[in-house]
Amino acid sequence: MSPGPTHARRRSVKRTLTGYLFLSPALVFYLVFLVVPIAMSLYISFRDWNMLVPMTGSRFVGLKNYTYLLTRDELFVIAVKNTIIYATGTVFVGMALALGIAILLLRVRGATFWRFVMFAPVVTPSVAVARIWGGLYRPAEGLANAILRMVHLPPQQWLADPNICLYSIILIAVWAGIGATVIVFTAGLKGIPEVYYDAAKLDGAGPWGEFRHITVPMLRPTILFLSVTGLIGAWQAFDLIFMLAVGGTEAGTSPVRSVIVLALYLYQMAFKNLRMGRACAGAFLLFLIVLGISFLVLRVLRKGGVESYE
Amino acid sequence: MSEPLALPRVPAMRKELEPGEGGKSAARQRGRRRRRVLGKLLLHASVLLIGLAMFLPFFWILSASVMTYEEVTAIPPRWVPSTPQWGNYGAVLRDPNVPLLKYFKNSFIVSTAVTLAVLLTSSLAGYALAKLKFPGRDAIFTFTLSTMMFPVFLFLIPVYYILKRFPLLGGNDVLGMGGTGALQSYAALIVPFVVSAWGVFLMRQFMMTIPDELIDAARIDGASDLGIFSMVVMPLVKPALATLAIFTFIGQWNYFLWPMIVTTSAPHLMTVPVGLRLMGTAYSTAVNMNKLLAATVMAIAPSVCVFLALQRYYVKGFVLSGFK
Repeated sequence: MSPGPTHARRRSVKRTLTGYLFLSPALVFYLVFLVVPIAMSLYISFRDWNMLVPMTGSRFVGLKNYTYLLTRDELFVIAVKNTIIYATGTVFVGMALALGIAILLLRVRGATFWRFVMFAPVVTPSVAVARIWGGLYRPAEGLANAILRMVHLPPQQWLADPNICLYSIILIAVWAGIGATVIVFTAGLKGIPEVYYDAAKLDGAGPWGEFRHITVPMLRPTILFLSVTGLIGAWQAFDLIFMLAVGGTEAGTSPVRSVIVLALYLYQMAFKNLRMGRACAGAFLLFLIVLGISFLVLRVLRKGGVESYE
Repeated sequence: MSEPLALPRVPAMRKELEPGEGGKSAARQRGRRRRRVLGKLLLHASVLLIGLAMFLPFFWILSASVMTYEEVTAIPPRWVPSTPQWGNYGAVLRDPNVPLLKYFKNSFIVSTAVTLAVLLTSSLAGYALAKLKFPGRDAIFTFTLSTMMFPVFLFLIPVYYILKRFPLLGGNDVLGMGGTGALQSYAALIVPFVVSAWGVFLMRQFMMTIPDELIDAARIDGASDLGIFSMVVMPLVKPALATLAIFTFIGQWNYFLWPMIVTTSAPHLMTVPVGLRLMGTAYSTAVNMNKLLAATVMAIAPSVCVFLALQRYYVKGFVLSGFK
């Protein structure tokens, strides 16, 4: 005895209603804090607006905000270049180091303790990270140069040297983030079946051969995930550069242009210069860049390798 | 925790090696054995070195937070204070210029409220996406995932404006004009974060692992979806809730950009990171660096303690986020 068609439909309507009822807090939030703001950002990006007057009272300027950023503002181009260096440095150097450390830690006892030590910076507030490293990087009183002198290397000016300021901050970011990457790689490494290594040994593969032909291909999904999420985050990096380069007492004396990244540029454009149109146009350009990079990474890393992992 | 230089393992290794090596000459065997031991030593030495390098910044701030001002700024730098100045902590807490305790109170209110809200909204949405079938469900899930790609800078300006123009709040009229809207209240720091796409994703993934039979059985027994959700599903996803709670709490506790933007015009709402940074600029570091560092240690303590106490869940969250 099957229920009639009307009965079935009523049940499916009720199921749909229940589903949307459970989702309603999230959906209302998506609407108010995601969909509407994105639409507003797009609208603002075509206008000249300073937030002091109502948004609708702003002037329509067409694509001028976009063309200004791309062709007229040298600082925007510099910010993009710096962000490329920063994102590439933090993500790929960080991943290479983390993979090495994760492999080392699988071979020692007390690895949990060391993973824990490495994870502590991940949960440390960025303000504290900036303050700690601002102290360590002081040219005369800081421990960074004291250590360099101990191993007979020339001391550096760190944040005060425009040539290495950005790299000094990359070093901090790698320190602050590597613990998380090590944990994810460790999980990935533990997921590689031991038989593959046994087989490779039978075939006479050395440690390097095992690494190249088993570890790296098997870690492809992990590497893919870490690259995409890492790059999305790194292209928006703000806190450390803001605090160490322009916004705090730890700030070095390097000119802003030697460290400015996109997020800092957008922040200053919006909340210092009050050019909301340019800031929103820049945010969309940033979004397009992040989107492009993600697709690129997906294409490069998806090719070949272990497809079944997805 | 066992010490890293686990040398006692080496003799055991030697024994394992001995069989299969029968035909080789004794000298070559010894050489190979020595290389093994050397490699093991090198391995442990490098792990120790990396660990020390990672810990060094923490060691410095702990040590410098109990130094005198002269010691913090000494040239060449000092590694440890001659006598620990524990008074630095009390001094910065009592300093009337920096309401550190108020920053802590604000951070605690905001982080707790956001965490509770995220737990509720994520599990409700996660249940619908994992265990109910209805048109549009998969599209909503895809949308949830895709939102993680949008840069935060797409939202800062509009959300700031929406909060400022919120009707009937903070002196605003029905059209949202005339006042400061929701900007001068805790709501400005809490409401934009009450739903987390990552949280929805995490809860959905976790709830997918609950067998449908369990839910069907409860339904046959006459339970409503709300009943199934609260009596059957929620108790089973406690580990995921713990993970999400720690992530959200620590994330909010440490969050800097948005609180800074909002509290520029509302200093009474300043959270710990914003206040701490302000202390670095308002305070003259040249005078008070040691106390500044004591305040910094206090700012780190809550997130590190939460992490210490519940690290099992936190680490699990990191691993989970890596494997869909």
